[in-house]
Amino acid sequence: MVSVQTDSLTKRFGDVVAVDDISLTVERGEIFGFLGPNGAGKSTTLNILLDFIRPTSGAAEVLGRDTQAESTAIRERIGVLPEGYGFEDRLTGREHVEWAVASKGVDDDPDAIIETVGLRGDEHRLAAGYSKGMQQRLAFGMALVGDPELLVLDEPSTGLDPNGMQSMRSTIRDRAENGTTVLFSSHILPEVEAICDRIGVMNEGELVAVDTIENLREEAGGHATIDLVCATPPDPADVKTVDGVADATVDGTTLTVRCTDPTVKVDVVRSVDRQVDVVDILSQNASLEELFNIYTGGGRDEAGTTGPAEEQ
Amino acid sequence: MSIRTVATRDLRNAGRSPALWGGAIGLGLLGVGLAFVNRGRSQSPTVAVESLFDVLTILLALLLPLAALVASYLAIAGERESGGIKFLLSVPNGRRDVFLGKLLSRLLIATVGVGFAYAPATSVSLSKYGAFPAAVVFGTLAVTLVYAAVFVVIGVSLSATVASRNSAIGRSLLAYFLLVLFYIFPVIQVSNVVRTVHTELLGMDANADLYNAVEFTSPYLAYQKTLNLVLPEGMENEFFSDSTEGGDTGDPGGSTVEGGGPGSGGESAGSTATSEPGEVATELPVYLTDEFALVILAFWLVVPLVLGYRSFAGADLE
Repeated sequence: MVSVQTDSLTKRFGDVVAVDDISLTVERGEIFGFLGPNGAGKSTTLNILLDFIRPTSGAAEVLGRDTQAESTAIRERIGVLPEGYGFEDRLTGREHVEWAVASKGVDDDPDAIIETVGLRGDEHRLAAGYSKGMQQRLAFGMALVGDPELLVLDEPSTGLDPNGMQSMRSTIRDRAENGTTVLFSSHILPEVEAICDRIGVMNEGELVAVDTIENLREEAGGHATIDLVCATPPDPADVKTVDGVADATVDGTTLTVRCTDPTVKVDVVRSVDRQVDVVDILSQNASLEELFNIYTGGGRDEAGTTGPAEEQ
Repeated sequence: MSIRTVATRDLRNAGRSPALWGGAIGLGLLGVGLAFVNRGRSQSPTVAVESLFDVLTILLALLLPLAALVASYLAIAGERESGGIKFLLSVPNGRRDVFLGKLLSRLLIATVGVGFAYAPATSVSLSKYGAFPAAVVFGTLAVTLVYAAVFVVIGVSLSATVASRNSAIGRSLLAYFLLVLFYIFPVIQVSNVVRTVHTELLGMDANADLYNAVEFTSPYLAYQKTLNLVLPEGMENEFFSDSTEGGDTGDPGGSTVEGGGPGSGGESAGSTATSEPGEVATELPVYLTDEFALVILAFWLVVPLVLGYRSFAGADLE
């Protein structure tokens, strides 16, 4: 069964194409993540699915219903953690959850929700006075009300501390195991890597790749990266001559070597060790980060600045 | 159901706003203050109380639009700026539910506000004069509530057309200026402006009824004309006394009553007006009669709503 389906979805704001001809299908029970730099069109796509904004052309269906014509019916069956939300100035955390329960017409226990998202003890404070991380938890809690069939989470881990992220991920996984479809957006790679069944990489409004993480990694050529922290600044020239080395760059005393063949990493270490003292070794297989950079052409970093990240 | 949850959430939040209670208390003090200051002169207690409500409505004609706009201009624009709209539309609400829920809530707030002005005025008068002219009290109350509703509708509708607080403030102030103040200060008064454009720029002959009709489009005037339907004789607000200038009858009988523009009506309307009230009314074209004011109020209750909702329904809520 299909949870979300878009057909040539396009959204223009003036001259800017925010979402460019996206056709996508998300199956029921999947955890699907939109990955991409800021401004790639992830939120705009989710906002169209939620009928916060209207597509310029194309159409979308959520749970088999048209997003524009049947938005209210869709909202009865989904839970949303929107982007750019704001709480009422004078309502407490618990009152917000109570309101979500009443609005969805369900009989969830607000305290159970508050417990799930770890806000016990703070529920009677004004939500607008919460820290960003607590607000995010509360918003997540409101999304969970009514055990929705589909969770739409826009940058869910924003502002969360590692514990909060961990706990949110485990809640998401639990819900997914019970058949809930999860659709979310993120620019945080480990998050996507940790919980997604499938990802869609977005860049400049386009969906540039849709696949499972394993397949994407394979497609990226099985590159391996090795970071060598040296006692003194190393010279990358020597190591570049080693067979199987694609590239070597130096940042301070750290030498980063990209290998097309993961098995040559030992040769790399030997080669560098002859030249300078190696203090530490960090080795990783083709990461999503690299994939991300391949698909988004360097893209934008978290702060939204343009141009390729030089450290890579 | 959804309209109700939107409205109760809004009311719950608003009920904790010190500013809102400040405004309500201000209206209450206005009612108390007027009732205390009100002098019976040589009138009977009933007439004294009736004239109190006449004066109260003259003040409310100016103040209530401002209060109603302040109470409603952020209804939707504020939610869009703060992001509250995202939550409102993440649960099973349509945009219509949000729009109507907000409208309902702000109408209730405005109603309570008017109640805050009326309750003390009524009770102070009752204890001071022992008079309770129910027809005038409830009549003016009903018309005043409609007047408040008009500006809540305008405020919420304007709020639905913009995405930010600042634009909402700008449009509400503009609305207050165009719909109320524009009809008060003589120099920039709308009938004079229209007269100038019509005679000087277009070179047409003066047509008083045309200017009156244009002026009558203001809810500010419509309110005062509607009040004439419930105020006792002698307290009516007289407008359009120059109607015959360019009209067809040419009978000066009624037109000598008052030269005053809006706001100068009230108790002083005097004997000439009351001696021939029927004649004045028959001289006016239908579109300038007191009864027609109801049509104008109805227009202002419905048209902004439709336009505001349509704008909101089609907006991208980022």
